[in-house]
Amino acid sequence: MNRHASHVEISPGVFRERMGLFFEDIEVGETYEHRPGKTFTEEESSPQALRALDQSPEFADGHYHRKVIGGLMTINPLHVLAVLTGMMTKTFSKVVANLAWKNVRFLEPVRAGDTLYAESTVLEKRESKSRPGQGIILVRTTASTPDGLVVCTFERHILIYGRGQGPYEAAGY
Amino acid sequence: MPEFTAYVPTGEKRWRERFGLDFEQFAVGQKFQHRPGLTLSQQDSRDECLDTLNQQMLHFDQQFAAHTEWKQCLMDSTLTTKVVMGMTWKTFAKRTRLLGFDEIALTKPVFGGDTIYAESEILELSDWPEEPRVGRLKVCTSGLNQRGETVARLVYDVLVARTGQDYFARINY
Repeated sequence: MNRHASHVEISPGVFRERMGLFFEDIEVGETYEHRPGKTFTEEESSPQALRALDQSPEFADGHYHRKVIGGLMTINPLHVLAVLTGMMTKTFSKVVANLAWKNVRFLEPVRAGDTLYAESTVLEKRESKSRPGQGIILVRTTASTPDGLVVCTFERHILIYGRGQGPYEAAGY
Repeated sequence: MPEFTAYVPTGEKRWRERFGLDFEQFAVGQKFQHRPGLTLSQQDSRDECLDTLNQQMLHFDQQFAAHTEWKQCLMDSTLTTKVVMGMTWKTFAKRTRLLGFDEIALTKPVFGGDTIYAESEILELSDWPEEPRVGRLKVCTSGLNQRGETVARLVYDVLVARTGQDYFARINY
């Protein structure tokens, strides 16, 4: 099967959606542009911080924000990182577990109304020594506005299933 | 013993809540145990995924997850990360900027029903010449579960206001 296939034909004329690349199908040096982008909103700024127990007035208090920062509400950088990571989950879907983020850089603040797009480049891949049939990839992700302003970059180590591994067939995926 | 205060006087027998240490109050080797902790549910993990474009069904399809080595849905690690950082806000409330993370390592799986606590250790202090009113802290914040096991380890740089230079003082917040 084509490694980029969007569907698998499970019986004649019946197609099931599939997502993501198995370890063998990931090539070092390739870049994947993730879609959709996401527009961050004034409405999500405060609840996203409060649900994480974060009561920083920068996120919770619009009056404070106007006086010391100005402009539209700032989005919690941890929420930005979460959304960018979420954007990666269709291409990097055959995941056993997320191992780590490295070198996360918040280069520009993200404000309500900003839209971000993410793209990921595969830097390294190696088979797992302790987990036969699985491998670890290292990807670098860059998030930009539609005008090309880079606002966040990071790397991720992800543990990925090899072909034929994982629960997909048994679980109806 | 150094004493850190949670209030500033605003009048006769009046006190206003004021959070966070000044840069000068931090020292290498200090450890902070953040309170409260937070019990995360499977619903929290599901909501986080759907809010952040995360299509990794390991976090929200129980039937799929039952076929994995985890046998149940795994907590979305972006939520764990957010909550661990969010819990630190009171001690680090005079933070003016989160520069980035050297590393966010996910060291043990988290499941719905687990309770997370955060602890921080100050690793480094330095001046920040381009903005003399702040200093830079390098911090390691760990997320611990109800058994005291480390589930996440975050190493990051933040800028923290020096005495009298924080936004709260500036706008009489």
